Amino acid sequence: MNKDIVVKAHGVKKNYDNSYALNGIDLEVTSGQILGFLGPNGAGKSTFLQSVLGLINTEGNLEVLGLDPRRDRHKLLKEVCSITDVAVLPKWMTVDQILQYVDGVHPGFDLQKCHSILSKTNIKRSSQVKILSRGMVVQLHLSIVMAINARLLVLDEPTLGLDLVYRKEFYSQLIEDYYDGEKTILISTHQVEEIEGVLSDAVFMNQGRIVMQDSIESINKKFLELRPNRDSLERAKSLRPIHQRVELGREVLLFEDTEQEKLSDLGEVRPPFIADLFMAIMDKTKNGDNA
Amino acid sequence: MTVLFTMIRKEIQEHKLAFIYAPFIVALVLCAVIISVYLGLTDIQTTNFSFSTDVYDEKYKEGMLLASPEAKTAVIRAGLVVLGLPILLTVGFGLLAYSLSTFADERKDRSLIFWRSLPVSDLTTVMSKLVFIVVVIPLLVLPNLILLQLVASLSVSIYFVSNDIVPFGYVWTSYFISDWFRIIFSLWAQALWSLPIFLWLMLSGTYFKKPVIGAVVPLVALVVLEGIIFKANNVQEFIENRLGFWSRADSFPIQYEEARVVDITDVYLMITTQAFWIGMIASAVLVAGIVFTRSTNNDFTVE
Repeated sequence: MNKDIVVKAHGVKKNYDNSYALNGIDLEVTSGQILGFLGPNGAGKSTFLQSVLGLINTEGNLEVLGLDPRRDRHKLLKEVCSITDVAVLPKWMTVDQILQYVDGVHPGFDLQKCHSILSKTNIKRSSQVKILSRGMVVQLHLSIVMAINARLLVLDEPTLGLDLVYRKEFYSQLIEDYYDGEKTILISTHQVEEIEGVLSDAVFMNQGRIVMQDSIESINKKFLELRPNRDSLERAKSLRPIHQRVELGREVLLFEDTEQEKLSDLGEVRPPFIADLFMAIMDKTKNGDNA
Repeated sequence: MTVLFTMIRKEIQEHKLAFIYAPFIVALVLCAVIISVYLGLTDIQTTNFSFSTDVYDEKYKEGMLLASPEAKTAVIRAGLVVLGLPILLTVGFGLLAYSLSTFADERKDRSLIFWRSLPVSDLTTVMSKLVFIVVVIPLLVLPNLILLQLVASLSVSIYFVSNDIVPFGYVWTSYFISDWFRIIFSLWAQALWSLPIFLWLMLSGTYFKKPVIGAVVPLVALVVLEGIIFKANNVQEFIENRLGFWSRADSFPIQYEEARVVDITDVYLMITTQAFWIGMIASAVLVAGIVFTRSTNNDFTVE
């Protein structure tokens, strides 16, 4: 089955005060992908997501659902939902007033569905947003987004500042109740380990560039982490790991495109955590070892 | 249309204190004062203290008895219109505060991020606020003016009839209901007349960290510079005119010597003046400025 191209970026750049927040982004996102943008502060993740939402002007070619996000933002937002900051719902409004408002302005919003989602939470429809906790505001925002029949969902640090319980609930609700295999989700977060199981693809960014992009399935096939037995350490090192670190007094070696059979005899082998792979790729990039 | 209706409903919900409760409270207070005056409750005469709000002494009573039927009707109509001034001033101050804060507040509490995530263009948002100011707020104010006029008319009828000043019919003339239409047309005209001021305040709210200073300083600077360089005061006059009543503006062809009921033909006269269209052009430029600034300014710092 052919997948629709949802986001198509070619040579996308964004310049702030003579420094590039985005420095030539080439990316294609197809329908059904849950794509995680990972990178340190200032990597350009939020800037790219803002440009996808048409909130900032960029150089280069950027198409979202076949539209120019800046020029056709109004049209685009009928198909695109976003949570780009926590607790941005207007505090003076009641939950019902917000739902009425979204129902009135968004052709894809299903009020009954939203009521049904909210009925499973502790949020009262008569409550004002200002009396809700930070976690409840995010829950409300997610309920609104989940009741919109959109093709693309953009989440930029959606759970920042929330406690662990709300963060877990957020992502499990997102995957169980929202994702249907056709919708596309772009997520940027610092809490990489919490979204690892959710992602279908990952994009590693640093200094406005994409340093690696691949599917999680492919990453798990391509990269392997070895905790070698004490007597196998030198043999393992001779297989040219791409990165090496010490964890709780034990050496951990990361291999790329190395057969699992070769490593299995040397110690404990498993696919790396995305966060660890990210750190390794960053180190590799820093050392100029891109070959 | 549903989108515009939804957005205007949101404005009413958000600003019900300024445009529903405040005028209603002022109207109730005025009603209470009027009733008290006509009941003689505010007339205090003691040996040490004397206070009277007696509105018609013998001189006025004689004047009213001698006046022509048309003059009696005109005085009563003008009186009823003037009564509503405190309500209009309350709403006027509310409008200035609304214009200054409406775009500044959404930056301050970052709700702009939420509004921007919905499929509503910046132009639609600005136009909804414009329709709210020009069309809806006058409609929200009118019931308060009607309430006040009814209470005042009833009180004055009882007083006039019981004191043999004028017969009952002079107060409840055929102009009564048609004057309500005149009032609403006048309020719409006033809102259009003052629109450049409201839009300027809105523009300040979309851009400046300190919207009050941002709204005032450039205007003061313009007034001062125009005075120094051109020895003129056109900017100052423009601002003063737009802050004042449209029917009293210098550019308006009819000069009013005294308060009278504004006629619908006066509105026609206003829209045929050059000053009105200068205001409309200034408003269009300001709307474009607000749309541009709201869509491009990502600075959410507002003090």
